[in-house]
Amino acid sequence: MSEEIIQIETPFQFNEDNKREFDELIGRYPVKEAAMLPTLHLAQRQEGYITPAVMKYVAELLELSVMKVKDVVTFYPMFFEEPVGKYVIRICHTLPCALRDCKVVLDHLKEKLGTDVASETNLAKGTTEDGKFTLMKVECLASCDVAPVIMVNDDLYKNLTPEKVDELLDNL
Amino acid sequence: MVQERRILYEHLDVPDINTFEVFRQHDGYTRFEKAIAEYQPEELAQMVWDAGLKGRGGAGFSTGEKWSFVPRDIEPRYLCCNADESEPGTFSNRYVLEKNPHLLIEGILICCYAMGIETTYIYIRGEFTLGKKMLDAAIKEAYEQGYLGENVRGTGLNINIYSHPGAGAYICGEETGLIESLEGKRGQPRNKPPFPAVQGVFMKPTVVQNVETLCNLPFIVGNGVEWYTQMGPTYGDARFDPPKPDPNTGTKLYCISGDVNEPGVYELELGLTCTELIEVAGGLRGEEVKAVIPGGSSAPILTHYELDTRLDFTSLTLAKSMLGSGGIIVMNETRNIVDCLLNIMKFYAHESCGQCTPCRWGTPWVRDIVQRIADGEGRQTTVTRPKFGITESGRWGDTGETEEIYEDLDLLENVANNIANVDTMTWNTICVFGIAVSWPAVSYMRKFRPEFEAAIRESKLVTLSVAEATVPPEENYAYQQRIIPKEMADLE
Repeated sequence: MSEEIIQIETPFQFNEDNKREFDELIGRYPVKEAAMLPTLHLAQRQEGYITPAVMKYVAELLELSVMKVKDVVTFYPMFFEEPVGKYVIRICHTLPCALRDCKVVLDHLKEKLGTDVASETNLAKGTTEDGKFTLMKVECLASCDVAPVIMVNDDLYKNLTPEKVDELLDNL
Repeated sequence: MVQERRILYEHLDVPDINTFEVFRQHDGYTRFEKAIAEYQPEELAQMVWDAGLKGRGGAGFSTGEKWSFVPRDIEPRYLCCNADESEPGTFSNRYVLEKNPHLLIEGILICCYAMGIETTYIYIRGEFTLGKKMLDAAIKEAYEQGYLGENVRGTGLNINIYSHPGAGAYICGEETGLIESLEGKRGQPRNKPPFPAVQGVFMKPTVVQNVETLCNLPFIVGNGVEWYTQMGPTYGDARFDPPKPDPNTGTKLYCISGDVNEPGVYELELGLTCTELIEVAGGLRGEEVKAVIPGGSSAPILTHYELDTRLDFTSLTLAKSMLGSGGIIVMNETRNIVDCLLNIMKFYAHESCGQCTPCRWGTPWVRDIVQRIADGEGRQTTVTRPKFGITESGRWGDTGETEEIYEDLDLLENVANNIANVDTMTWNTICVFGIAVSWPAVSYMRKFRPEFEAAIRESKLVTLSVAEATVPPEENYAYQQRIIPKEMADLE
């Protein structure tokens, strides 16, 4: 049934490293379903975002329905269902960062990248035309002492000012 | 001035403390060895109860008491370490994970031994990529050194620790939400009871503890209960005769951010006042304190009249607020409270998991009302009520008196109180997220009502002076109802 609804152009498969990591992961839990989040993280790292093919593959690995995987993917903000830029810039805009002028940094980023802020349902809105950057707002990144902060992919940058942002973007 | 008392953070800045070798040189794992050599598991659990350790994650529930609910005859039992630190204003666990992950592992080992647990999952926030990397490396080292795995150091214990990444949902910091998420589902909290201690992850007895709570265990074992209870106040609950001791023992990793000169994590004994903490953090950046959030963004706000409140679990609860996760956010006189509330309400509207109707619809509604007020479109009506007196024509009759009603403020309070009622402390939702929404909404509005009224009246955000913006103590519900607890020593 699920195969008929979801149209899959090219099937997805883990590469060898990820397959090995997955085999190690699955042994940690008494039920296969529990490996869902780490598996999706692995898949997203390989593919860039969660495509229908990824969901189908993960569902097969964990012996679940595709619907169940989709259910989880849509719940968590860290899983993308659309393509994102090479560098995902997450800017914190919660109260402690707001008190330290994160808006100045955000406006500067918007102007510099020439793009708007992505929303969860429309990632393309925050992605630059060359596909290099995606700008998104996130909630507290737990670094309020060094606010304002941004995360570029896996790295955290602290105490930002527009000048520091310029320097950072030029080095990417 | 109050001095820092570094215990958990004592070796945090030692170079390479994240490696097994350096950690070992600083008493690492000796407390675990002492626990195994000198105590039976039940004795350890009793020790933690006697030490008065309270959960540092937010609820402040007694750890020893929580452990006593776990049935010891059901196998297997699990430990879930909550490292999903996402409460705005809180950032102490991040430093433990990134700099001293072996301390957490030692705490977990002690808990596992005391509770007869073989499997631990550390649910770590998805955004903590560096923290996870350091933690995974430390776990690997601990396996290599024989402190994890089968037959730990020849004691016959089998203990495994696995790190499990989250994926950016705030609600997974709630214990049952965390359990659901760990099981590979949407992180929607479960109804309680059954409590996780009886039916938790994979429907087995589960202990859920915060990183900071677990990091306290090595020091309780290493230095003894007496040493531990000397830190922080022990209050007496005078409703009981003789007064029941209410310990607020140990140190707390206070995370202070916002308008202070040196924001950061300060480890201090529980029980210092707000004013003292601001002083420790390099003083206020600005002229005057307008407001302080004492325990992460969910906690009710404190006005400048309430700064003498002691920052511990009991005092803040009795002052109608909470210590929560210990994330203190300070605001100076230039801040607009309406704007701050809008920021926080946007956060909650985004993070509501969508399971319960009052929260799913109520949080965006509250956000929309605050947004409207901030945009200068707050609703206001003029009501005419009959009031008898001498009229202009000199006769006895209806004087036609009118009253300005701030419709949106009443609506805001009504909607928030129907998600969770802050006066009766009852919530219409499955988890306490509901109260985390209505607490700030109602407390900001009631305590800084003049600023909200000004925004509606003048159709734009108006930042009033501290004295004008704050309601006086005699009109402040929390100030009127607050109780200042007495220490045991004073009662006797």
